[in-house]
Amino acid sequence: MIELSIPFLLSAILVMLTVLAVFIVYILFQRSREVRFNKARAVYLQTYSQAWYAFLFQDAEFSIAMIPRGKAQVAAVEEIFSSYLKNVINAEVTNKIQNSANQYLKKFYAKDLTSRFWGVRMNALYRIADFRINELLDEALQFEQKKISKEEYFQLLKIYSILQPEIFLKKIKEARTRYSESEYRRLFILLSDDVFNQMFDDFYNNEQNIQLAIIDTTAVKRNMQFIENLKRLLNDESDEIKIRALKGLYEIGIVDEIDTYIPFVTSNVWEIRLMVAKIFKYAPLTYTYPYLEQLLQDENWWVRSQAAKTIAEEREGVAKLQQFIAHADDQYAIEMVQETIVRKQGNR
Amino acid sequence: MKILDYLMMFFSELIILYMLFVIMSYCIMFIVALLDIQRRYRLDPSEYDDAHIDAFYSKPVSLLVPAYNEEIGVVDTVYSLLNLRYPQTEIIIINDGSTDRTLQTVIEHFKMKPVQQIIRVNIPTKQVKQIYQSEIYQNCILVDKDNGGKADALNVGINISQYPYFCSIDGDSILDEKSLLRVMKPIILSDGEVVAAGGNVRIANGAKMQLGSVYETNLPKNYLVVMQIIEYLRAFLMGRIALSKFNLVLIISGAFSVFSKKWAVEAGGYSTNIIGEDMELVVNIHRLLKEKKEKKRIEFVPDPVCWTEAPQTVGVLRRQRRRWHQGLMESLWKHKKMTFNPRYGLIGFISFPYFWLIECLGPVIELAGYLYIIIAFFLGGIYYEMAVVLLLLFVIYGVIFSVASVLFEAWSMNTYPSMRDLFRMTILSFTEIFWYRPLTLVWRCEGLVRFLFGKSDWGNMKRVGIAKKENSV
Repeated sequence: MIELSIPFLLSAILVMLTVLAVFIVYILFQRSREVRFNKARAVYLQTYSQAWYAFLFQDAEFSIAMIPRGKAQVAAVEEIFSSYLKNVINAEVTNKIQNSANQYLKKFYAKDLTSRFWGVRMNALYRIADFRINELLDEALQFEQKKISKEEYFQLLKIYSILQPEIFLKKIKEARTRYSESEYRRLFILLSDDVFNQMFDDFYNNEQNIQLAIIDTTAVKRNMQFIENLKRLLNDESDEIKIRALKGLYEIGIVDEIDTYIPFVTSNVWEIRLMVAKIFKYAPLTYTYPYLEQLLQDENWWVRSQAAKTIAEEREGVAKLQQFIAHADDQYAIEMVQETIVRKQGNR
Repeated sequence: MKILDYLMMFFSELIILYMLFVIMSYCIMFIVALLDIQRRYRLDPSEYDDAHIDAFYSKPVSLLVPAYNEEIGVVDTVYSLLNLRYPQTEIIIINDGSTDRTLQTVIEHFKMKPVQQIIRVNIPTKQVKQIYQSEIYQNCILVDKDNGGKADALNVGINISQYPYFCSIDGDSILDEKSLLRVMKPIILSDGEVVAAGGNVRIANGAKMQLGSVYETNLPKNYLVVMQIIEYLRAFLMGRIALSKFNLVLIISGAFSVFSKKWAVEAGGYSTNIIGEDMELVVNIHRLLKEKKEKKRIEFVPDPVCWTEAPQTVGVLRRQRRRWHQGLMESLWKHKKMTFNPRYGLIGFISFPYFWLIECLGPVIELAGYLYIIIAFFLGGIYYEMAVVLLLLFVIYGVIFSVASVLFEAWSMNTYPSMRDLFRMTILSFTEIFWYRPLTLVWRCEGLVRFLFGKSDWGNMKRVGIAKKENSV
C-alpha cells in the first residue's frame, strides 16, 4: 500500500499554490516596474535624442542635463548610440560616442560586471565592445580572473581585439577556451590588416579551428596581399586546409596564373577538384579548357556539373560544349553537358 | 466481491504509482528547464542576433514549404519567409498536386516563370512536373509535382535545394523575423556538431500580423485554443528543454525545424509511409548517428518563434490529436528494438522508455484513473479515500504544473504581456483536469486503437488562414 494520505497531499498542494501565488504577485510587481522603466526611457528619448543628435553630428554643446541618471536613462542612451553605430559610418561620431560612453556610462557597466546575473554581465560586456569603452580595460582584465563562462570570455576576447590587439594575440595563443570556427571568424574579422597578418605569420602555432577561421577570414577580407599566403597553404598536408585555401582563392577571385592549380585537377579528393573547376572561372577558357574537359568526365556529379557551368559561363563556352558532345563517348558527361546547355539557353 | 476488491486495489496502486512517477519526471524536467532559462534572464537578445546577421558567420539555408491545398495561407507564409532576417536563403514552395488554386495563386502572386533546372535525385520521389522561378524574388522557387504526401513533397524540396541546410515549414505557419537566426545558432556555433534543430512553436490564433510579421500577441477568446496554448507551454517547459539538454529529443516540430541535408539524405529523407514523418526523420538520424558512433546532436531551441494555427473546433482538434498519437505509436513501434538497447545509449535507455511510458501509454493509464475515480465514488466505502488521493494527484499533475508553466513563461519570455491574459490563462489552468485533459486522453486513446487496427487518417485540418483571423478572433 502506498502511503499517501489526503491531508499530506492537500498540504502539499496548498504549499505549491501559495508559492505560485507569491510568484504571481512578484510578476505583477515586476511588470509595474517595467512599465515605469519604459516610461522613464521614453521620456528621456523624447527630451534628449535631438540634443544628442546635435551634439554628435552638428558639434553642438554638450548639456549637463543629457548625462544619464539611472538605468532607464542609460538604456535610452544605449538605444541612441547603438542606432547611430549601426547605421552611420563616421569616425568622428564613433569617437564622440566612445568618449561619452567613457565618461558617462563607464560606472554603470563597471557595476554591472559585478552583478550576480549572467545576463546583466553579458550585456555590460556587449556594450563595452560596442561603444569601445577603453577606460574599462583594466576592469575587463580583472573580470577575467574570476570564474567566468565561455561566453563571457569570448566577449572579453572581442573587447581585447577592438581595444588592445596585443592582449588579444597573447590570449588567443594561451587558448584558455576552445571556440568554434564561426566564433573565431567573428573575432578575426574585427582585426586590422596588420594584426591579422600577424595571425597569419603564426598560422601553424594555432589549433585547426583557428587555422580554418584564419583562411575563411582571409577570403572575406578580399585583400590581394593575402593571395600568396593562401597559395602557400596549398602545399599543406591536410586536405581540409587545401580545400579552404582554394575556396579562399576562389572568393578573392583573382587568378594570375593557372600552373599552381593544375596538379589539383587530378586530386583524389573530389572537393579539391570541384574547387579547381570553380577557380578556373577566373582564367581564360583557352588556357583552362583541356583541364575542364577532363573534369567534365569526372566520376563525381558535382565536379562534372561545375566544370560544365564554368565552361558555359564563357562567351564561346556553349559552342565548346556542343563540340564536346559531338566527339565524347562518356554518356554521363554528355547528359550533364546537354542539361547545362538547355539550362543556359532556357534561362537566357 | 473479493475479486472486485483486489482488482480495485491493484488498479489504484498501479495508477498512483504511475502518477507519482510522472510527477517526479516532470518535476526533474521542470527544474532543468528553469535552470536553463533562468540563466538568460535579463540578457539582451538583440546583441546576439545581430552578431550572426552577416553571411560570413551564418550558413545558407533552403526553406522548404510543402503545400497541399493551402491557397489561403501559402502567400502569407512565403511573405514571412521573405521577411526573415537571414543573409542567405532560398525559398522552395512545393505544390503537392493541390486540387485547389494553390499553384495558380503562387504563380500569379510571385510572378513565377518556368525554368530548366537540373535535379540531383538524392531521394527517390514522385514525378516533378515543372519548376518555376519568381521574377520578383530570384531566390523563390516553385515546384509543381504529382501528389505524394507531405513527406514526398519535402523530399523533392531536399533534392532541389542547393544549400547544406534545409528548414521545413508548414504551409500555414508564420515565422518571426529572427526565428531562423535563432534556430541556426546552435548549428553555426557548433561547427556542424548539431545536425538538426527545432524551434519553439507558438499558436498564432489571436496574434495580429501583417504581411507575415507578428506585431502583437493577444490571447484568443476561444477557450479550446487557450488550453492548447497552455499545453504547448507546458510541453515546452516540461519536456523539450530538458530532453534537448541531454541530446534526447525525439520530436522536433515539423512546423519549423532545420536539418543538415547531408545527414537527412543519408538517413533516407522523410519516410512516405508513416504518419509522423518529422519524428521518423529525427529517430532515423539519431539511429544513424549512434550506429556510426558520431558525436552529433539534435537540439531544441527555446526561443525561436514559429506561429502556427491551432484547431478551433473540437472535431478538428480530435482528428489532430488522434493523428499525432497514431504517428507517435507508429514510429515507436517501428524502432522498438532501440528500446533498452545499449547500442543506442541514452536514447535507448531514457528517450524510448520515456516516450513509451509517459507519452504513449500515459493516456490509457490516466484515462483508467478517471474511470477509477468515477467507479470508486459509486462503490463508496474504502474507495473514496483512494479516489480522493488520485484526484489530488491529478490536481498536482494537471493544475499545478500548468499554472507554474504559465507563470514561468510570463516571467521569462513574456509572450502575452497583458495582465488580463495572464490571469485568464492561470484561471483556465485550474479547469483543465475537468474537461480538456479527459477529452485529449480519449482522443489519444482513439489514436492508439487506430494504430492497433491499422487505420489511417491524414486528418487534414481545415484552414481559415491566420491573417484573416485578425478580425474574427
